[in-house]
Amino acid sequence: MTGILGVYAFDKVWNVSKFLYYGLIGLQHRGYSYSGISTLGDRGFSKASASLPPEDLPLPDMKGWSGIAYTGYDKVYPYVTEEGALVIDGVIKADIGEFSRELYRDPERAIGEAEGVFSLIFLSKDGVMVGYRDELGIKPLEIGGFGFDLAILSSEASGIAVVGGELKREIEPGEMVYIDTYSISYKRLKDSRPHKYCSIDILYQSRIDSHVFNLDIYDIRVKVGEQLYEEKKVDGDVVIGVPDTAIPYAIGYSRRSGIPFSLGFTRTGSTIRTMLASDDFIKVIGVQLKLNPIKSAVRGKRVILIDDSMVTGRTLKNTVFSLRSLGAKEVHVLIASPKIVARCPYGIPIPDERELIASNLPDKEILKIIDADSIYWLSLEGLFKAIGHNYLCTGCMTKSFPKRWW
Amino acid sequence: MKKVLLVGDGARENALAEALGSSEEGYVVYSLSSYRNPGINEVVGKTGGRYFIGDINSVEEVRRVIKEVNPDFGVIGPEDPLFHGIADEFRKEGIPVVGPNSEGAMIEKSKVWMRELMWKYSIPGRLRFKYFNTIEEAAKFILEYGGSVAVKPAEQVGGKGVKVVADIQAYLSDEKRRAITTSVGSIANLVKGDVKILIEEKVDGPEYTLHVLTDGKSYLPLPLAQDNKNAYEDGIGPETGGMGAISGPGYLLPFIDQEEFTRSYEIVKITAEAIEREVKQSYIGILSGQMMLTSIWGPTIIEYYARFGDPEASAIIPRIKSDFGKILELLATGHLSRAKVEVDERPSVVKAIAPLGYPLDKNKASNHRIWLDLPKIREMGCKVYFGSVALEGNSLLTKGSRAVEIVAIEDDYGRAVEKVDKCFSLISSDTKLLFRHDIGRTIDQQIEKAQIVRYSYKRREARGILGISADWSPNGGLW
Ligand SMILES: Nc1ncnc2c1ncn2[C@@H]1O[C@H](COP(=O)(O)OP(=O)(O)OP(=O)(O)O)[C@@H](O)[C@H]1O
Repeated sequence: MTGILGVYAFDKVWNVSKFLYYGLIGLQHRGYSYSGISTLGDRGFSKASASLPPEDLPLPDMKGWSGIAYTGYDKVYPYVTEEGALVIDGVIKADIGEFSRELYRDPERAIGEAEGVFSLIFLSKDGVMVGYRDELGIKPLEIGGFGFDLAILSSEASGIAVVGGELKREIEPGEMVYIDTYSISYKRLKDSRPHKYCSIDILYQSRIDSHVFNLDIYDIRVKVGEQLYEEKKVDGDVVIGVPDTAIPYAIGYSRRSGIPFSLGFTRTGSTIRTMLASDDFIKVIGVQLKLNPIKSAVRGKRVILIDDSMVTGRTLKNTVFSLRSLGAKEVHVLIASPKIVARCPYGIPIPDERELIASNLPDKEILKIIDADSIYWLSLEGLFKAIGHNYLCTGCMTKSFPKRWW
Repeated sequence: MKKVLLVGDGARENALAEALGSSEEGYVVYSLSSYRNPGINEVVGKTGGRYFIGDINSVEEVRRVIKEVNPDFGVIGPEDPLFHGIADEFRKEGIPVVGPNSEGAMIEKSKVWMRELMWKYSIPGRLRFKYFNTIEEAAKFILEYGGSVAVKPAEQVGGKGVKVVADIQAYLSDEKRRAITTSVGSIANLVKGDVKILIEEKVDGPEYTLHVLTDGKSYLPLPLAQDNKNAYEDGIGPETGGMGAISGPGYLLPFIDQEEFTRSYEIVKITAEAIEREVKQSYIGILSGQMMLTSIWGPTIIEYYARFGDPEASAIIPRIKSDFGKILELLATGHLSRAKVEVDERPSVVKAIAPLGYPLDKNKASNHRIWLDLPKIREMGCKVYFGSVALEGNSLLTKGSRAVEIVAIEDDYGRAVEKVDKCFSLISSDTKLLFRHDIGRTIDQQIEKAQIVRYSYKRREARGILGISADWSPNGGLW
């Protein structure tokens, strides 16, 4: 789970370090146990990084007219040498030092020959910025501009909007963008169809205000909620979603069913801080750890609880328990994704299979453990239907992976 | 046979030359340019005229050529000769001409004069502005006052130097203001007059240009066009004179409606009348409103041209089915009321091709050879207008700016864009060429953008607060 960002000024009067800093905060929902920024100025590259989310990173006292940034879990990035600075979202089968040298010498060849699933941004010491989006489209990458002055590459539009830039378009899968002072050009390096957009990115990782994978994320999630109702009509009094990700799903379910939507929880602390969970994936989807249910919203009611996924089931068990202790008559659990049963080989840190409840236990047992009145997962067909196509990577749900790179 | 003298050397003049050369009046086209433009050269040769190479901004030079040619009328393409009084010179010699006198051309030359005129005559679509004689004052203002601003050289310096700063994110305010402050010096250096810097409120929305022909008595609007200012792909990067334009279908653009067209036309007309009152002379020529549909006003003036826009001219002129050469003569001679414009309903797309280095480094972009398969491009149904490229011997050499413009007119934008892009592949050079694939492919986004500002300005209108805006800042109060 990674966000990458690049900011390029065509005029060297700009100092872009704060643009990187704030832009990165706009991407921290993509992963935040570690973050860093590197800028290029008159005296080469500077770098600041720490095992902190971007918003807790000390405001860098750096100068540079161009730079890149990273938020995620891999402490290698930004990978900075004398020749260049590199950030990658994804996995690559290469020695990173060598790859970075190759990128400096001949980016087209380096990317052409590299194996893996990755989007990247590379900034050379000569002031050339190269961006690439993985050819299957599993990883996102977008480009935007700011007036007559800046070009911005970002995993998601939120990193562009937060600095006042305008999203121009998504980089196409397999497309390389080349930016220098005098030009921007594109080249399709690899063509691999059909594209396989990451379902997890669409269902959980992207921010609800984003437009990625040619989709308006909020709309898609509302549709997934509607689709859930088509598949599983629960007789209930109130629909609530686990904040923040599952709220659009609950809105969709409520709209289609006519059962009122309610805000069932409030949050203690900020979204991302002081998470207890040890691993990134659980951190993002396990927000409920810091959630407190609202009693009057659930007391005496048959509650339809929608969550975005279930990994270990532990957090959901706690949630159901607290809803019951506040007087919920019934708790029906709907999961807005198919069952997650496998590790992701492309860099989404889903835990090992033996930690995934859905790949170890049948529904009846799961129901017992989390103590719900019923439980239902969105079907794979339902996912395709809500999104409007099946150009999706669903490896963690089906164990069928679009690409073997390892 | 009537003779016409055309002044200028770019793609716009190439389009004008073509219109004059293909007129039923059978004009003999003479040209005064600073280098040999292959496109104009072709028309001059075909009609049996003559190609003069010289300083198009020199009154003496023009006088000499006028004496030699004794034209029936003249057409001035670019703004610089207008600023230098070349139209005045034609009229002094008794030659009718398309193009305002230097006083009238102030509307383009001085952005301050333009803004003051708009406020003095309460012309709708005006923006708040301030001007500064020193860099220090301007820098101080930028640092101290809140709000989003556009910082410009106070004079027209050929599509350079404008900085637009969206300042909604308070946390980046200092960063943005500091960068602009540093640029102010170089912006000011572009300006010769006393007033150096113009700062106006920044607005947002889709841009479009409305060209209006006038002989000082009657007015004739041309179809709308939209220019694209950013140098690089996807509308990113430095400001240019324009990397491409679209026009149509009909008189409109897909994102500007009839009512907005009518209002824009009113604004330009009132402005032409205001200029006339101000300088006490008829404004004879083309007055173009470079406009933006904004939430403050709806149709809003960003700046005026005292001539055709380039590349807008290449998008509009080929769509005019009636005899445009003849219309230019009627304009120059004060008989515009007799002119009729008939327009091809179908939309057009024009894209410019520029050598690497444009617009930041003229040297880098100069003296490169360019090859194009002209017969094939024409066979494919595209038009080619030559811009900043000189015919030297048998080769085409770049002069540092936009070298060639390619135009296609088709049933819809999709087809027109495809055709232009295909023709681009028939052009090559010993340097990398800049070309914007995105132009003509973002119609839907612009429709959406227009709809958003339309909600806002209609709301303002309903509440009677159209055009009212202000910014406040603790350091300096209201502006
Ligand atoms: N007040 C403003 N708000 C927002 N954008 C602006 C504003 N003024 C200018 N711009 C942007 O900057 C561009 C250039 O501005 P303007 O036309 O005033 O400059 P110019 O250098 O005279 O250009 P031209 O090449 O058209 O003569 C506009 O097309 C517009 O995109």
